[in-house]
Amino acid sequence: MEKHMAVCPYCGTGCKLNLLVEGGKVVGAEPLNGVTNEGELCLKGYFGYDFINDTKLLTPRLRNPMLRRSRDAAFEAVSWDEAIQYAAKRLGEIKAKYGPDSIMTTGSSRGTGNETNYVMQKFTRAVLGTNNVDNCARVCHGPSVAGLQVTLGNGAMSNSIPEIEHTKCVLVFGYNVADSHPVIAKRIIKAKERGAKIIVCDPRKIETARLADLWLPLNNGSNMALVNAFANVLINEGLYNKEYVANYTEGFDEYKKIVDKYTPEYAEAITGLPADDIREAMRIYAAAPSATILWGMGVTQWGQGVDVVKGLSGLALLTGNLGRPNVGVGPVRGQNNVQGSCDMGVLPTEFPGYQKVTDPEIRAKFAKAWGVDSLPGEIGYRLTDVPHLAETGKLKAMYVMGEDPAQTEPDLTQVRKGFEAMEFVIVQDIFMTKTAMFADLILPATSWGEHEGVFSAADRSFQRFTKAVDAKGDVKHDWEIISLLATAMGYPMHYNNTKEIWDELRGLCPIFYGATYEKMEGLGAVPWPCRDLDSAGSKYLYEGNVFQRPGGKGLLFATEWRPPQDQLTEEFPLILCTVREVGHYSCRSMTGNCAALQTLADEPGYVTINPKDAKALGIRDQELVWVSSRRGKVITRASVTDRTNKGAVYMTYQWWIGACNELTIHAVDPIAKTPEYKYAAVRVEPIADQVWAENYVQQEYAKLKGGLSNAVTRAAKKAPAFA
Amino acid sequence: MNRFVTANPSKCIGCRTCEIACALAHSEGAGVEGLAPESFKPRIRMVKTADVSTAVMCHHCEDAPCVNACPNNAIVYRQHSVQVEQERCLGCKNCVLACPFGVMDVVTVPAVRQFAGLTLSLGVKAQAHKCDLCIERGDAGPACVSVCPTSALTLMDREAMDETLRRRRERAALEAAEVAA
Repeated sequence: MEKHMAVCPYCGTGCKLNLLVEGGKVVGAEPLNGVTNEGELCLKGYFGYDFINDTKLLTPRLRNPMLRRSRDAAFEAVSWDEAIQYAAKRLGEIKAKYGPDSIMTTGSSRGTGNETNYVMQKFTRAVLGTNNVDNCARVCHGPSVAGLQVTLGNGAMSNSIPEIEHTKCVLVFGYNVADSHPVIAKRIIKAKERGAKIIVCDPRKIETARLADLWLPLNNGSNMALVNAFANVLINEGLYNKEYVANYTEGFDEYKKIVDKYTPEYAEAITGLPADDIREAMRIYAAAPSATILWGMGVTQWGQGVDVVKGLSGLALLTGNLGRPNVGVGPVRGQNNVQGSCDMGVLPTEFPGYQKVTDPEIRAKFAKAWGVDSLPGEIGYRLTDVPHLAETGKLKAMYVMGEDPAQTEPDLTQVRKGFEAMEFVIVQDIFMTKTAMFADLILPATSWGEHEGVFSAADRSFQRFTKAVDAKGDVKHDWEIISLLATAMGYPMHYNNTKEIWDELRGLCPIFYGATYEKMEGLGAVPWPCRDLDSAGSKYLYEGNVFQRPGGKGLLFATEWRPPQDQLTEEFPLILCTVREVGHYSCRSMTGNCAALQTLADEPGYVTINPKDAKALGIRDQELVWVSSRRGKVITRASVTDRTNKGAVYMTYQWWIGACNELTIHAVDPIAKTPEYKYAAVRVEPIADQVWAENYVQQEYAKLKGGLSNAVTRAAKKAPAFA
Repeated sequence: MNRFVTANPSKCIGCRTCEIACALAHSEGAGVEGLAPESFKPRIRMVKTADVSTAVMCHHCEDAPCVNACPNNAIVYRQHSVQVEQERCLGCKNCVLACPFGVMDVVTVPAVRQFAGLTLSLGVKAQAHKCDLCIERGDAGPACVSVCPTSALTLMDREAMDETLRRRRERAALEAAEVAA
């Protein structure tokens, strides 16, 4: 049996593991003693590898480039040469006719790695000539990046994952660590065992709420009011660190003026929390010699996400919980490489290494390195703008790599209309996805396990992963495909391996320069910033309380609370909040093809509902129900549980039949453009004929799977000559 | 003393990694690709209520109700644990009714016999289905304990039990001292 070192492809924890290979097939996974996982894995790490082997449980692996010359035609398998020439010709025509800004690309926050993302944004900027490149951080921790860049100067976790267990207080805000990062949950449990106080702010009784010293079940959509009230208590009870505030922060007077109104009593009406509990939380937080705030999608997936992120960083600034070990602010990244795709500049605002596209000197540096006369200085489009831009004719072509927006974006009806309106869509993936069904050209890539590269864990740690098996079928590495396309479009691009790409980007990004492949050998992890070849990187940021802002001080920021956008009415009386499934990942194209994970949880998924709401609606546990919003209607299974608060229901976003994004609203944060996935007005209805409903689910599921599978098998049969 | 696996609810996050590991450890080498919803029967089960998430499994009782209830002596004490001699199991379910923890089940598996190079179907065979502490894994110990990402599961043997008792007595002594003072 062979063993090949990898980093788990499923969340931002960055767990190191060995893939066990027998006869060219991955047959198992075992944990390694990586920096962040220390010999642990969760169910996805242990049992989430068999998708590589093309199990076809949900959808087949892609084996050939596939093209359809008109939207009503079926896909046909074509040669790489034809696929690349066709893509180059169509993209060239669209660029000539409508200009470079009519084309958009995506990076991928998933298994492909940092090097591919670097190459994708280079292609977008240097070859297409636009900054229209984005990644799914937009629908995830985009507000954390935007908010923290303003208040502290760096959008990432300020501390490292191992430090969490050494802090004396963990304030968990809108972050279901047990389901999102099981291996990080262990750090919180260990912190508690070492005497840390745990405070949890979440409307649901999540696992961490069960273990908490204080649980604040705030009303859905009241985050800003609670954060302001926290600041109010810290200031008005004199709990804040006056010396720290005077020396290392700015904006205190303005900040105080805004939060003054948010007394715990005032916030009580908005948050539904007893004023004394709000006070108690801050007394615990302020009293701790070291305290860490961790947050997730419960903070960011709101129309007011950036403001709340800024507000949370304010709590750390007020109490001096930054710039030293075991404290800080932690937007814990969800996808395995969403930190990395941001690091690599697959963002419409920034080059790799967080260098702004609006800065002429930076543009000149990259233009020189990439051998082009100039690079675009206009900020590009955001991923969430796509449906609207496509429908209004501004966006004509899209090159989607390793993402499935037709499953993961809000208001899927709009998303589908957007794809239909575009003239040319390329999807580059390892699986036939719902998005790939809208493509004109499908480019099959190698999977995690079939290629090597570097991922960035949630705590900024660069770690290498290696190849375990050879890819089957006529597939290529993502970065090779993009290079071929660039060359066909008149920009010769060639790399022999990922290290060549890494060394090129290191040279262009001062904060990554010292993070060499050699340092990441084996279990090595290098947290950026790592500016020098003799540096081991930075476990925590803001050493000496120097913030990466003009003047070096942290900014205290508060603003008024805004209510969520969707309106509860008699017709749609319940709040739908979308959440995640512990055993599934992202759009589920990977985990849905893993036998063990699919065995634990399969279509149509669940809507969890409080027993009181369920009783009023005549809904019993495990029955199939309809959930509808102003935008759509889906079937799913009711899970009646006291852990769900009254008035709200929760659906995990992994299901293709019970697809909650048919229901979600396209209301976005004004700055980060992140959608309000956490608040849509819905109605839940019982279904009288459960036998019919069960059959309906099975039929719809079979139809969906059949459609995806047929698209691939028919194409392969049509043109097998070069397969 | 019989060994047994204990779960600590204050560490459990309800992820069910243990359930998959259990099913795989008893899949006779079939690997993950052999798992399917209809045949998924882990011997450890995660239970989630409003206030508790934890795994439940066989206690390997010293005076086991299942052993006492079995009319065919199919359940025995072996290697400091309670084990089922499957060839003796009738599938009468007395053990299921007797178990106060709800961790004994009776399942049926296809029964086959090899004869002259042919595989003959013999209908179904009943099996009393419970935690066997993965005795076939030998020193590797129970699969569930080895994978639990939060170390919520522990194998309790005489030594581990003595250590737990020693710590509890120490705590009791300290508390008693506080009361006296």
